[in-house]
Amino acid sequence: MFIEIIKMAIESLLAKKTRSVLSMLGIIIGVSTVIAVFAIGQGAQQAVNEQFEGLSAKTIMVMGMRGKGSVSSSKLTVEDAKIIQEKGQYIELATGAIQGNASISYGATSASLSIIGSDLDYYTISNLELGSGRLITEDELANKDKVAILGSGAATTLFLDGENPLGATITISGKKLEVVGVFKEVGTSMGPMRVDDSIFMPYTTAQKTILGSDGSVVLNIQANSVDNVELATEELTSILREEHKLKDSQEDDFRVMDAGSMVGAAQESAQLMSILLTLIAAITLLVSGIGIMNVMFVTVAERTKEIGIAKAIGGKQGDILSQFLLESVILSTVGGVIGIIIGQVAIPIISSFNLMTLASSVTGPLLGFSFSVLVGVFFGFYPALKASRLDPVDALRSE
Amino acid sequence: MIKYYTKMENKIEIKLENVHKSYYLANGEEVSVLNGVNLEIKQGEFVAIMGESGGGKTTLLNILGCLHPLSKGKYYLTGENIGNVRDDFTLAFIRNKKMGFIFQQFNLFSRLTALKNVALPALYAGKEKQDREEKAKKLLKTIGLGDRLYHRPTELSGGQQQRVAVCRALINDPGIILADEPTGALDSKSGLEVMNIFTGFKKQGRTVIMVTHTAEVAKYADRIIYLRDGKVISQDYQLHSNY
Repeated sequence: MFIEIIKMAIESLLAKKTRSVLSMLGIIIGVSTVIAVFAIGQGAQQAVNEQFEGLSAKTIMVMGMRGKGSVSSSKLTVEDAKIIQEKGQYIELATGAIQGNASISYGATSASLSIIGSDLDYYTISNLELGSGRLITEDELANKDKVAILGSGAATTLFLDGENPLGATITISGKKLEVVGVFKEVGTSMGPMRVDDSIFMPYTTAQKTILGSDGSVVLNIQANSVDNVELATEELTSILREEHKLKDSQEDDFRVMDAGSMVGAAQESAQLMSILLTLIAAITLLVSGIGIMNVMFVTVAERTKEIGIAKAIGGKQGDILSQFLLESVILSTVGGVIGIIIGQVAIPIISSFNLMTLASSVTGPLLGFSFSVLVGVFFGFYPALKASRLDPVDALRSE
Repeated sequence: MIKYYTKMENKIEIKLENVHKSYYLANGEEVSVLNGVNLEIKQGEFVAIMGESGGGKTTLLNILGCLHPLSKGKYYLTGENIGNVRDDFTLAFIRNKKMGFIFQQFNLFSRLTALKNVALPALYAGKEKQDREEKAKKLLKTIGLGDRLYHRPTELSGGQQQRVAVCRALINDPGIILADEPTGALDSKSGLEVMNIFTGFKKQGRTVIMVTHTAEVAKYADRIIYLRDGKVISQDYQLHSNY
């Protein structure tokens, strides 16, 4: 019986194709928007998480600030890390690195990669493990030796499969460096830099021969416990101010950010964005629901006579209610499915423009679909109820 | 299968006692259509309702068909007073199982095939698809439309459409057939065919109540009930009647 009523509902929808398609359009747009929006929101959160994956909650980053106010150039240096490490009470470990980009070539291959000139503790704090070769030594650091360790990605970029990078000489900004080691893949990023695609060397070497004043200094500091992050931040700020001989009237020539608040703020804004976008999509669905309701009212009005006949030959209110309700649910469900397909197809297309990160999820389609079915039931119910309650004689009389 | 009722001439199928029906216009004015109708119809009787237009013929038929509630009075259907039943489920059940409606304008569903149209009341009755379509096919074949099963109403002549409507009225094997001007939209040949079917109902023991304004059609009935100003003014049996 139910199958027959579904069939009849489909038949009557097919009899008015243009109208059915138009009323579905709203649902299609609504659902595909929900899905796209969800993907954007999820993508933004995922991007935030990836960006800060390498950071623990104890991490505090210090970056140089340039050309602001009276401070023409930051005095922040990699050596500051050592001083913070020595003086700080709440500091467990402080490392520093100078970062920048440079063009690197080996044989016929060349690429632009990130350069990280660091002290030796940097490898520990960044969870970098050797895949082959060795780490840089204290002596090499002191002597500003031209040695480098490759990130796994950098190694695959520069070297062919099966080629051994160890002992090879690569050219960075015209200077020749010897590869002494290759790190295992870690997959994390430090801010905008992908660790795997970086080339590591003593900071002394980077400062003197490779990056010079183009490099930006980043200190990566671990507080001794998560609870002491605030104290550690205050402490290192005063150490740095003292070290940089800043007067009380002068502003800091560095920026301090702790991982917790960085991740929190970024996540919060990503979340807010996805909530706002979802809300917009929900409004689209609501409007499309009203569209469906309108169409159903017109349909009921048009088919008043049919309703009268159905009642005269023994159709119950429930039979008529379910038929009209099914029509609107079918409209919205089919619209929902088309919307899901369009949304899912759109995600890789939008992603291919590289404007933003999109993550497809199960939640998006699920939410869009259930919302569309709900819209059909909710907005179809009133017209269907009205149809089922028509007086049979009045209904029969109408043309 | 069409059931052949045993003849029980004395059993009263329908009885109306002092039935009134009035409408309220939009301005609150009361319009009285039936003013105390008293009527007894026996099982297997073929009754024609006649009278001037506005006399209340169709209203009476709609009341008998449970499409209208009565304003006052009693309506006994096989001995049970259903005049004050307002519950949709019960009324729909009576319309579905106890009665078959035939209209002047056929009132078939234009989107459905002849077969589906005939089977629809059985669908409302909750019959299985195979059962109802088998029965619908049988009815359509009996009535000479075996080659029109999958035609839609627009592809059928008026006479054929009315025969489809007759099959639809019969699908749940009701005891009562209600017809509102069944030949009104037909040519005389098709009208004759329909009247032959109606006299056949009598042989099957079904009660037939038909509204008409044509004396030629009314003469097929056992009895003609004349209505004027919402009252029965005569209800004599015709000479050919065996009542």
